[in-house]
Amino acid sequence: MLGLATVPSQDVTAARSRAIRIRINGVWRDFTVGADLPAPTTLAYLLREKLGLTGLKVSCDEGACGACTVLRDGKAVLSCMVLAVEADGHDILTIEGLPDDDPVVEAFARQCEPGYGTALQCGYCTPGFVMAARALLDENPSPTPAQIKEALSGNICRCGCYSAIAQAVLHASEAIAARGRAR
Amino acid sequence: MRQPFTPRTERAFLGKYRPKIDGRDKARGAALYADDIARERSFPGMLYAKVLRSPYPHARILSLDASEAEKTPGVKAVLTYKDPMIASLKKTNAGWTDGVDTVSFRKMMWGTFRDRCVLGDYACWAGDEVGLALAAESELIAEEALALVRVEWEVLPFVLDPIEAMKPGAPPVHPDIAANNVFPADPFGGGDVFVDKGDVDEGFRRADLVVEGRSVYHNATQNSLDNWCCLVEWVGDSLTVWSNSYATDQTRMHISQMLGLPIHKVRAVSSFVGGQFGRGDTGDQPFFLFTALLAKKAGRPVKFRHTRRESFHDSRQPAIYEAKVGVMRDGTIRAMHCKSVGNAGAYADHTMFALKYAPKEITEVALAHVSDVRFESFGVYTNKLPACMMRGVGNSQFNLIFGLMIDLVAERLGMDPLELCVKNFGHEWESLPDRSLERVLEEGARRIGWKEKRHLPGRGPAFDGVKKRGVGFSCHPAWHAEWQEVRRGKVQVGITLNPDCTVMLKAPSVETGNGSNTCNVLGCAEALGFLDVRVEDIHWSATVDSDQGMKDCVQTDSAVSYLQSEVMAQAARELKDRLRETAAPVFGLEPGELEIEGGRVFPAASPEKGMKVKDLLGSGDLAPISVLMSRSPLAEKTGVPYFANFAEVEVDTGTGRVETLKLVVVNDCGTVMYASGAEAQQVGGQCIGLGEALTEEIIYDRATGIPLNFNWIDYHIPTMADMPDIEPVLLEVWKGGGEYGACGIGEGTVTCTPRAILNAIYNAVGARIDEIPVTPDKILRALGKA
Repeated sequence: MLGLATVPSQDVTAARSRAIRIRINGVWRDFTVGADLPAPTTLAYLLREKLGLTGLKVSCDEGACGACTVLRDGKAVLSCMVLAVEADGHDILTIEGLPDDDPVVEAFARQCEPGYGTALQCGYCTPGFVMAARALLDENPSPTPAQIKEALSGNICRCGCYSAIAQAVLHASEAIAARGRAR
Repeated sequence: MRQPFTPRTERAFLGKYRPKIDGRDKARGAALYADDIARERSFPGMLYAKVLRSPYPHARILSLDASEAEKTPGVKAVLTYKDPMIASLKKTNAGWTDGVDTVSFRKMMWGTFRDRCVLGDYACWAGDEVGLALAAESELIAEEALALVRVEWEVLPFVLDPIEAMKPGAPPVHPDIAANNVFPADPFGGGDVFVDKGDVDEGFRRADLVVEGRSVYHNATQNSLDNWCCLVEWVGDSLTVWSNSYATDQTRMHISQMLGLPIHKVRAVSSFVGGQFGRGDTGDQPFFLFTALLAKKAGRPVKFRHTRRESFHDSRQPAIYEAKVGVMRDGTIRAMHCKSVGNAGAYADHTMFALKYAPKEITEVALAHVSDVRFESFGVYTNKLPACMMRGVGNSQFNLIFGLMIDLVAERLGMDPLELCVKNFGHEWESLPDRSLERVLEEGARRIGWKEKRHLPGRGPAFDGVKKRGVGFSCHPAWHAEWQEVRRGKVQVGITLNPDCTVMLKAPSVETGNGSNTCNVLGCAEALGFLDVRVEDIHWSATVDSDQGMKDCVQTDSAVSYLQSEVMAQAARELKDRLRETAAPVFGLEPGELEIEGGRVFPAASPEKGMKVKDLLGSGDLAPISVLMSRSPLAEKTGVPYFANFAEVEVDTGTGRVETLKLVVVNDCGTVMYASGAEAQQVGGQCIGLGEALTEEIIYDRATGIPLNFNWIDYHIPTMADMPDIEPVLLEVWKGGGEYGACGIGEGTVTCTPRAILNAIYNAVGARIDEIPVTPDKILRALGKA
């Protein structure tokens, strides 16, 4: 993954216009990199400011908190650390692209059992956690608590709901398994 | 399955384990925060503001040339310190109120310390907003234009350490207010000695044993993920500000007073806020003002948002405490003397609240049975970033010394520190022992395994050859009972009953994450039990808009969980009376002859002759029935509940690394309003508490005075990998006044964590480290290994 380099202004204005295509939540979208979309535009900025997909949050804008996590070709990436041009030709899934009955969303929303609290308080980090958990469960549908901890330790929840988040991921894993059995 | 809490009184809606009412919207990313509402797509033509920040900790602008910035294509408005719009603004403070009440400029709490200029020429810390702000078509253009501003600085000598700042010859930060950097006495905080009860010198002479201790609290910072932002739009001479302020009524008052606008020309709107934790004191911050003035000058909406790095703009107040306790052989504490120096940083704000008001409250409610007490404090200006509120104000700093003295005294007496607390601490209206404190400590001790795991300091077994374990605790009186909220003024709620028996709830309070919106909806359902209302029948708004004409109940003191519900209970009784009046002519009876229960209205004398309230309302004129209630919190002094944290740690004596194995968080809540929410606060608070204890600290370069770690790579916030097993314990022992008699717990869940961990470290290794954060180098030094 590339960091967002500081691009001198003359390069920005001189950037040649270039057409890019990104598949966002299942729909191919065309953009022209140039005056309207300066080359240093991050994927996070494009999604939030240009497309109104505000579920992901930009908090640190330097890859330290995970609030902007989206899936690129099924893998969790920090959209503040991906340039829009780097997403050219790729498949991007934001939280808005999850189905209404997504088991991870449901598990985060409903988490409340005694001893852990809720999986979210202010909710600002939550879409990032949900997407990181989604990527984990797609790869490993029955993670152990240690695997959950490892997969989600790149995300910050300042409200501190970590133990309930881990519970929610376990419950989501159970729900996915139950749906699998039901099919 | 963990052990659930058992309510003292079973209720239909309150005190339950259930999902948050906004859980689904937050989990699917549909909850809208200020930065989501105020974006390019919603406000075409919107500009972005950026502000000049001082690169020096102490400097004055000699001259400023903005001509290149003004010529930059895309720059639409520039304001400098010389512009009459800016230069005419009054000197202010970011501590107008402690958030509970709305106050004017004249009545601000810390009026003695009006030390902030809005975009002045004088910088007091490296990062201070000075000299110039501009608005441009994009953030990129604004940043580039800012880089073209040429400033000639007079670089002044600076001071970071408060003890150095107090010495003669130290560079004065605000000489007009504090010639030697030491704050003068003020009407609210009082003099340097602000508690002097009995005769403390005589108390020490009579004591069998005198014990002394010291603790140092460094500056952690709030770190809300939702960086502070605002968008201002003018229509004619009226201004609307969308922001993630947690106090809309005070935001409106601040802007109205500072810009000289009548209140009805200012509209303040807040929606969901991504964490508050005390940032920016009460929000009376200059950025609202220069954003408003840029929008006026440009004639377009202007948005200003802090970057994450800029969001390191205030912190918990660092404090050095020294204490002396005189005790009798039987464990009776006779005398206590505390002296503290608080590092206010560049601006005073709520410094004196942290140093004086909070500790003074503790002498009333916990040290009432100690005969001789003296507290003295010195607030000191330095060139660090301003410091003040952070999930509490002064309480954590005081607990760090309080819990140390308990541990030290108990050790010298050969007594269990839990026993020492129960023997001595209680409030002024009842005799000892305090039942709340007793139960809180019993429960915490049982859950951590106090008796089995505690050993003589450093004498426990070793694990893996070099690791030592220990347990510790700390306790504190809560400061969130209803009587402690009387300065808040009126708490307002509105309940409107629609003709189909659904409900419009107005309980304005900005949702910062602590679950008070869930508490309010549950409180409303509980109060309207006679209508058989379900939670899903109640409409609540996630948006707090000052145009509603109601004062929002500000998210301070963690008290919104119950304050508005208490008023709702009263409003519901009035609604019932209004329904009886509506029904009286239908039944041909007097209102007093009617009863309402289970959604039915019926004659008390013949219940079978009733009708559904829904049918009653549906048959009338279909006008909703509204009740608006405005009431002050109850002032009756009902004592205070206690809380405590217990910790078990493992210290690697080879590397100095501390791992927290378990935390038990015990709160006596009076009444648990929403069990899952309360436990979320108890568990969640440990992210801040543990961070402050072990990793979180702003580090300055001593040579230049520049802070070095304003980012989340070098400033380490605990993540899932760092967190121990946390056991939340809710109790209902104490009870306050009113319908529920609850108290807030959110701030307090953090207060005792650092001290509990530090005492556990001492129990583990037998060496004390009394400065937080306890980093490995401090452990190794204490063990004589570095």
